[in-house]
Amino acid sequence: MAAIVLFAILFFRLWALQVISGDDYLADARNNQIRTFREDAPRGAILDRNGDVLVTNTPGTVLKFWPNSISKEQRDDVIQRLSVLLDLREKDIRRRVDAIGTDLLTPVTIKTAVRDAKVAYINEHLTDFPGVFVDDTELRRYPEGTLAAHLLGYVGEVSEAELKGLDPKEYRGGDEIGKSGVEFSFDRYLRGVPAIGQVRVDAFGRAQSAPTIIQEAEPGNSVRLTLDADLQRAAEAALENGVRRAASGLVRPSDQENVSWAAGGGAVVVMQANTGAILAMATYPTYNPGVFVGRVSQDRLDEAGLGDPDVQAELNYPSINRAMQALYPPGSVFKPVTALAAMNELSRTGERPILRPGDINQCVPKREFDNQVFRNWDPEMNRPMTLREALAASCDTIFYDIGYQFYSLPGGRGSPLQEWARRLGFGEFSGIDVGPESDGLLPTPEWKRKTSILPKGAFRGWSSGDSVQLAIGQGYMLATPLQVTRLYAMLANGGELPTPYMVEQVEKSVGSAEQPVVLRRFAPAPAQDIGLTPESVQAVRIGLFDATHDANGTGYRVFSRFPVPVAGKTGTAEKFVSLPKGYLSITNKPVAQNFDQAWWCGYAPAVDATVSKQVLAEISRGREPIAICAFVENGGFGGESAAPIAYDVLSAYFGLDLSSEDIQIGTAGSSD
Amino acid sequence: MASRPGVLHVPRGRERRVVAAVSEIVLHMDYVLMLAVGALVGYGLWIVKTVTRDDIPGDENFFFTRQALAVGLGVVAMLALMWVSPEALRRLRYVGFALVVVLLGVVLVTEAVRGSRRWIDLGFYQLQPSELGKVVAIVMLAAVLADRARTGIGWRAIGSALGVIGIPAVLIFIQPDFGTSLVYVAALVGALIFAGTPWKYFAWLGSVTLVLAVAVLWVLPANDIQVLKPYQVDRLVGFIDPSSDPSDTTYNVTQSITAVGAGGLHGRGEAGATQTNLNYLPEHQTDFIFSSLAEQRGFLGAAILLLLYAVVLWRGIKVIAIAPSLYQAILAGSIVVVFLFQIVVNVGMTIGIAPVVGITLPFVSYGGSSMLTMLALMGLLQAIHVRGRLRLER
Repeated sequence: MAAIVLFAILFFRLWALQVISGDDYLADARNNQIRTFREDAPRGAILDRNGDVLVTNTPGTVLKFWPNSISKEQRDDVIQRLSVLLDLREKDIRRRVDAIGTDLLTPVTIKTAVRDAKVAYINEHLTDFPGVFVDDTELRRYPEGTLAAHLLGYVGEVSEAELKGLDPKEYRGGDEIGKSGVEFSFDRYLRGVPAIGQVRVDAFGRAQSAPTIIQEAEPGNSVRLTLDADLQRAAEAALENGVRRAASGLVRPSDQENVSWAAGGGAVVVMQANTGAILAMATYPTYNPGVFVGRVSQDRLDEAGLGDPDVQAELNYPSINRAMQALYPPGSVFKPVTALAAMNELSRTGERPILRPGDINQCVPKREFDNQVFRNWDPEMNRPMTLREALAASCDTIFYDIGYQFYSLPGGRGSPLQEWARRLGFGEFSGIDVGPESDGLLPTPEWKRKTSILPKGAFRGWSSGDSVQLAIGQGYMLATPLQVTRLYAMLANGGELPTPYMVEQVEKSVGSAEQPVVLRRFAPAPAQDIGLTPESVQAVRIGLFDATHDANGTGYRVFSRFPVPVAGKTGTAEKFVSLPKGYLSITNKPVAQNFDQAWWCGYAPAVDATVSKQVLAEISRGREPIAICAFVENGGFGGESAAPIAYDVLSAYFGLDLSSEDIQIGTAGSSD
Repeated sequence: MASRPGVLHVPRGRERRVVAAVSEIVLHMDYVLMLAVGALVGYGLWIVKTVTRDDIPGDENFFFTRQALAVGLGVVAMLALMWVSPEALRRLRYVGFALVVVLLGVVLVTEAVRGSRRWIDLGFYQLQPSELGKVVAIVMLAAVLADRARTGIGWRAIGSALGVIGIPAVLIFIQPDFGTSLVYVAALVGALIFAGTPWKYFAWLGSVTLVLAVAVLWVLPANDIQVLKPYQVDRLVGFIDPSSDPSDTTYNVTQSITAVGAGGLHGRGEAGATQTNLNYLPEHQTDFIFSSLAEQRGFLGAAILLLLYAVVLWRGIKVIAIAPSLYQAILAGSIVVVFLFQIVVNVGMTIGIAPVVGITLPFVSYGGSSMLTMLALMGLLQAIHVRGRLRLER
């Protein structure tokens, strides 16, 4: 009886499986042998404005693993063998395998750029490595090495967190994705459409048929930048030179004689004054993006100063793009903002006569407001000055006065100095198309009240000193070199604030002989008129021209004989800095003190707006007007360490064969 | 002598005795059973041949020739057991039992193959004592219970039977080979039933087993005492929901069900059976050979096999009915239960209605010891049939 019942059950179940739902299982069995695979399309190249290749591809091998085609025991074996063969941590492999869950279509990338001997070993012992296969791939190649590393960015395998925010139709686990810079921001143009193919495989993942391509790959498109590789190279070289020079003590330290070598970083930004196109953006120190190619190794990252925090500190944080990510007090390069705000806000309502061009005020060694003393950078300076002269000689006390006048405005007037600074791009993101950028800090009374860490009961409000310091770009004020460059581009073009951008167009990758097919042009946002009176802009332009051409100007020694007329401002801003371990003073103590941050920002050619186009072209040697900022961290006087860097970059831009090494910068009178 | 039940009446004279004995066997054996077994062996050989032709590159008959050899040996064993009186075996039971226990002990000191110690390497042959031990254990069990049955089956009898089965079953369990040790337990249950054990004892034994199972699966592991290997627990638990994790412990079952289902009514043929040929189906020449058959030959091919099994079972039950003594009835009963158990559990696991345990499919799974054992058990059945028929004639 029992036997009959049991047999009946077996028959019934067999009937159900084979006859009733046989077709479903047949489909399952067929899918079992068909492996759908995605093959990444070759990623598009990144070109400079002249079509020079900054990032391209090189063929390489990649080792992948289909963990869900085999049983758990087999999987454990394979992971262990791979770990031994490839010298990877078993835990790391397991983590990537677990990450794809039960997804049957996605192989796990175990390692890229695998050595030939190991590839051969795996191919000979495939039965020991079920589910493992070796594939061809394209790896990123950086023919220019470290050039523009921060701007170009790098690619890596998409993370689970990133996947959540992406369209699942376009991105899948295991895909390569741009992680930063242009690679990140323009990933959708660069990546192309992956090929989808199918292949029949056995249970060990060995192919049983030639792969059939269901969907052809569409190679990624190229992205053409506004950068000029030659100028970028010149800017990086000049910056590195300048930082080294500042660190070596060739440049007189302002007031910390024993730690002049604390200069360890800097930035240069070169922007077309009319369009906002970035022609060069250098940051120092830097790194080689090659460390991110293939399976990233922690050791290599540590070595490059991108991993281990101690090494990062020792190498002074090479991963930071100081040109737009880092914040510094702008110091005197901010003075044009104060001047413009004064002329457009105070003079119009007739508060003080000194603020009109031509009005004269006394520059003095020190000023006292509300029992607080504020000194001029040059204690010898004591003479009457117009605004033009005050800008050229960078007189602090006259700007202190302006700051105090802003402070003394009746309560209903708000904070006009900050409002003008905001209109000029401070405390705001510039809107550049390739990040990451910082928005800086434009201190306001509201901000101070909100963020004060002083105890309750203490005075947390905005004091006269805060306004006085803000007037010379000090105190709480922080800005990126990019923000400051934008200000000078506005001054160069006569009053319109450009939006910086770095990507010119997307084009189809074609043979070298053909003209590129432009798929998409990114029209730059037109420069904005921010409502400054033309007279006020002109007054500041004259002051900046004098700064480089008047014998009292802070940039006179560097730029007075430059063949193309240059206008610009030095800046030497104090910032309290704790130097990383390893930087010890001569008394062997850790250094934490105020350091001078060196700036020079300006533009060229500096010509009157009435000059005819023909003359202008002659003066500028056929080149577009540009604005430029050079910055050296803890670099001492701007006129001595930052200005020469700008000099070299300008020389390269205008095709001149000049070097800052050949000019006598001297030590007296021309620094700020 | 002539009056002893089940013993062939043999005239004097050696040659005449042999001729007479052979003629009695030939006249009284169960031809339906013999034909069904013959068909099963032939069908099984053909299945092994077609299922394994891609497994060893360059030698498509590798498994087939070895299996055919085992069939040869098995037929000799079957004929020998038809000849030898089951009563004579009963007298040899202690020797046989001791031999099996020693062999099972020897196995435990061999080197593990895929995590388990099951085979003794004789050079030309991999002996699996747990398979051959089935024959001896069943004989021993039937003998013990038949002895005790005179005074009625009580706790003493059950205790002895438990001892007889328990020793080899535990030795096999720690190889580890959970499936085969379960077959021994099935034999015990079968023998107890046919010995006429009162139902209340089954109730008791059932309760104790239940308590033990709970202890082994939940209570002891919770206190960090592992009786079953983790993979064994996984398989038993995973059996309840095979789709919970397609890649892990139930991978085999999922692939097996896919193979069986894909076979459909008519099967996918030798070349089309991708689950088998591309190795998605693991162990497809041994424990999962039924899935391969079902994939290649479909419902019809699988049904033919099951019908042949049914014939063997039907004839086996008839043998129980005509067995000339209680001992032989218990013997035949245990054989039928073991046979049924192996078929149901093996086929059941391939189609997802029984847990995955390593139990072979009689006459079909590749493996010499299994083939030898099954043919020997059929020999025993035939022997009992012959003696039973003879007794009925007198």
